Amino acid sequence: MALILQALRYLVYVLVFPGFLFCFMTGLLLCGIDRKLVARMQKRVGPPILQPFYDFFKLCGKETIVPAAANRTVFLLAPLVGLAALVVIQLFIPVFRFSAFNSIADVIVILYLLLIPALSVIMGGAASGSPYAGVGLSREMVTILSCELPLLLVLLAIGKVVGTALGTGICFSLSKIVDYQMAHGSLLGKLSMIPAAVAFLLVIPGETGNHPFDAAEAETEICEGPLAEYSGAPLGVYKLSHAVKMLTMTSLFVALFLGGIGTGIENLMFQLGLSGGAAGAVAFLLEILVLFLLCAVLTFLTISVVHAVTARLRIEQLFKYYWTVVAGLALISLVLAWYGL
Amino acid sequence: MFKNLIKESTGKSPWLFHINAGSCNGCDIELVSVLTPRYDAERLGFKLTGSPRHADIVVVTGPVTAQSLDRVLRTISQVPEPRCIVTMGSCPQSGNVFRGSYAIAGPLSKYVHVDVDVAGCTPKPEAVIDGLALATKILAEKRGQME
Repeated sequence: MALILQALRYLVYVLVFPGFLFCFMTGLLLCGIDRKLVARMQKRVGPPILQPFYDFFKLCGKETIVPAAANRTVFLLAPLVGLAALVVIQLFIPVFRFSAFNSIADVIVILYLLLIPALSVIMGGAASGSPYAGVGLSREMVTILSCELPLLLVLLAIGKVVGTALGTGICFSLSKIVDYQMAHGSLLGKLSMIPAAVAFLLVIPGETGNHPFDAAEAETEICEGPLAEYSGAPLGVYKLSHAVKMLTMTSLFVALFLGGIGTGIENLMFQLGLSGGAAGAVAFLLEILVLFLLCAVLTFLTISVVHAVTARLRIEQLFKYYWTVVAGLALISLVLAWYGL
Repeated sequence: MFKNLIKESTGKSPWLFHINAGSCNGCDIELVSVLTPRYDAERLGFKLTGSPRHADIVVVTGPVTAQSLDRVLRTISQVPEPRCIVTMGSCPQSGNVFRGSYAIAGPLSKYVHVDVDVAGCTPKPEAVIDGLALATKILAEKRGQME
């Protein structure tokens, strides 16, 4: 009986919250907010907030064409693998105090899982047999290579700060990082973490493949690169993955740098004399709302504003930018962390 | 319910693909102006795509020259169903000033079913948005008739 209940709970985690349904709703909503904000910044009315939902359902209803030159199995499975990896990451990222599986995963696992969506784009593009996809996937490879170094340095710096405080040298456990922030305040309050936070914010548009770092999917020059041959539902899944990736990256930032602020909703409700199951559920829903609002603000700062004010970078400019400016910021942070600041 | 959702969404998310079949560039510029802040067709969900595989509505400009005919037909056949074909300007509809020329293979309706014609040389952006909005309605109907 207990085993069945446990299995049911995990099923709810995977399918509803913080798994598939949560990713689907909030990811597409973030994407819609981003498009609306970009439009407002360009003095346009902009599409409705629900536009990404319409796009996704429309693509589900379109014919799926598999090119004659394509490898059918890889071509159709690659988008699903990418989406599944993103949902798995979301299971590991804590929502303030709540986390589905955080005790068994650390930051290194998330780093590996973050590579899989990019790899699925590369695999799908390579399987489609289109020359545009060939150009696009080589650029996608350079993009993930560029983003990986700064991201790794940021995570090293965080691990060093938390590890020094806990006396274990270096610590990559996500739950320990969040617990540390609960006890000592958010990591953003530390001097050594400020350059790392800026570097992480700069990595977000690169990881999600947004302007100005979208050389891999440049629709005006290489027909959306790896996605050139995709149509119908598989294309919809790729668009969904792109939206979920915004949620993943922003909520990872919230967990890594803002975890300690907490929401205080639980305490507030306790003071108002509200406690018990129903009040706990309401507090939990409010915390999810706070997380979503934080993600929306971060999306606005890192994706919408940057999209509205920049033009697309060439691939070697992108590489140079990440390996000098962003990696430099992360390196400063790492050195400061080493001196215990 | 799911089927209805898809049909509703098809009418709200039309993605455009633009084919230049020997156009003088006048209509091409006007089509882009439809997406600029002044007219902002994105508020109706329109988006210019880079690949015919992503498109719902194909916008053809130009008089369909003999050289471009084969390419136009091949590109249109790559667009997944349901799809709508919209001709923009007088050229693909009648040949316009190029009518009777040895280099012209048009009008386009001789070769494929054209859903909406937007006439004018060049049509005003308002007329283009009107034609595209009509095409989205046809698109949703086509989706409803599928299966």
